Amino acid sequence: MDRGVRYGKGVGCCEDRGGGTYYKMKLLVCIKQVLDSNIPLHIDEASGRVIPEGPPKYWMNHADEFAVEEAVRIKESLSGTVLDVLTVGPDRTAQVLERAIGMGADTAVHIHAPEEASPTPLTLAAWIGAFARNRGYDLILTGVMAEDDMQGQVGPLLAEYLDMPCATSVIFETVCPPKGVVYVEREIENGRRHMLELDLPAVLTVQTGINHPRYPTLSNLIRARKEKPFRLDSAELGPLEVREKILRAHTPGKSREGRLLQGDRREKAVQLLEILKREGLLQTGE
Amino acid sequence: MGDCIAIVAELNQEGVAPCTFELLGLAREIRRFRHLSITVLVAGEAIRGPAREIADTTGERVLAYENPCLTPYHPEITLDVLTDELRKINPEFTLISQTTQGMDLAPRLAVRLGAGCISGVSAVSGQDGDICFSRSAYNGKVVFQVLPLVRTTVLLVQPGAFDPPMRADVTPGRIEIRLSSVEPRRTRHLGMKQVKRDDAGLAEADVVVAAGRGIGEAKTLALIRELAQIFPKSAVAGSRPVCDAGWLPYERQIGFTGTVVSPRLYMACGISGAYHHRVGMQGSRFIVAISTDPMAPIFNIADVCICDDLVGFIPLFIEECRGR
Repeated sequence: MDRGVRYGKGVGCCEDRGGGTYYKMKLLVCIKQVLDSNIPLHIDEASGRVIPEGPPKYWMNHADEFAVEEAVRIKESLSGTVLDVLTVGPDRTAQVLERAIGMGADTAVHIHAPEEASPTPLTLAAWIGAFARNRGYDLILTGVMAEDDMQGQVGPLLAEYLDMPCATSVIFETVCPPKGVVYVEREIENGRRHMLELDLPAVLTVQTGINHPRYPTLSNLIRARKEKPFRLDSAELGPLEVREKILRAHTPGKSREGRLLQGDRREKAVQLLEILKREGLLQTGE
Repeated sequence: MGDCIAIVAELNQEGVAPCTFELLGLAREIRRFRHLSITVLVAGEAIRGPAREIADTTGERVLAYENPCLTPYHPEITLDVLTDELRKINPEFTLISQTTQGMDLAPRLAVRLGAGCISGVSAVSGQDGDICFSRSAYNGKVVFQVLPLVRTTVLLVQPGAFDPPMRADVTPGRIEIRLSSVEPRRTRHLGMKQVKRDDAGLAEADVVVAAGRGIGEAKTLALIRELAQIFPKSAVAGSRPVCDAGWLPYERQIGFTGTVVSPRLYMACGISGAYHHRVGMQGSRFIVAISTDPMAPIFNIADVCICDDLVGFIPLFIEECRGR
């Protein structure tokens, strides 16, 4: 952060998201393209690979949309801020970069990795870290967890690789560039929040619901299509870090009877009613 | 030391969090496959009480760290304290509960220890002398069996997946208390805050009718409410995506960071049933699930499954209820 180029309202701007404050902040948002898991999936048990049945549908990981939105809001409140978005994966994953630019990010970075690479969270964090190191980012954001892998590791791993403080599950944040800090509230269990102040540069993983992600604008999308992402090859950033291996995959077992009702819709409704009455869960004669 | 399992205890407002004892359940299962000793690590500001509770209940050795900044969790100090000790005892497995605290801590700890890190661990199995861990992915539709390949691995363990060992009369474990004076460097703890939370009567309801992303649009909620009205003492709830979309207030969110309910009847409408939701409702006495997706994981924990479009099915069901 360049503390010398502050104009406008000045110190104490932490609560002010109304604009008028000039700060040269550099933000990075790490996003992931994920498979829509609502479509039927074929599980190849022996290889542990998950293959969509029929044409695959991909989208930006839901939580990452909130991270992009949060970064765009910071950028809007601190003019002079630049916002980079980054993803790792094969060619198809560039689609989420386009969407992020559409939402208001400035520059896209694509760390290209072949389809069959399946990098572990540790590898992803090492690659992103190798890219981000010495590039002067003040704040790095990512979604709290990816919907496909559900590990939620890349954010904190990246913080450790870059030796930055980190807060996960962030449901509120305010950046205060004059003090070089970010105030955060982490959403924890039982309706409680953990309040922290971190020195910049820092890594935050953003919880869903922190904001309402905007739709991309047409003019931004046109710009996204014109300007190709800055592309790097993952092989140049480091080897695959493999510390565990997926041996096989299967569908989860059932913990209850899971009686699947048969027949047409009316028949199923009648059966459900009978079951609920029998279980004493619904009074008769109402 | 080597050849041991380290359990990282979690403290909450009341004392030792119950999930800590579930970690012991996993540790004992690991010991069916390999003979490893168990050490429990606990860190906090006033540590004697919790350390005593753990040692008395489990009979295992307890290493307790007292630091005034740990109230009870500090992202930087907890990490520093645990790193120092784990480097010394060099465990093969470090067990941490997959809570918001555990998820904050475990990956960074793994980097410092040069360890692997496996999240969402819900089962353990033996495999030709190796030990494998199961974790779920794709919203709970797939379970991966994962084999650690390095000398030391950090495991993030799903709360509720392992039973705490039966309480028996055990010889209390040995306690070693260490004072730590590490101070925060770049992360300052500013306290906890209770967000105003009226659970909208969810905990008292006999019947909870819950809506998920599968309801498609906000106006379908009218149908969910109509369904709830069939039952006396009922309440309407939702999964996280429904609350994130602003369709229902967060007071009505069921799950990991929301409310945990165990009504007599839980009706899941258009809910896929990922782990984050399941932990909030799997204790319900009777579960009915309605989803168009035959592979929805909610069907694995339901008593009755209806694979159908809820917008078509629910009105017919309401009609049947009213008709007799």
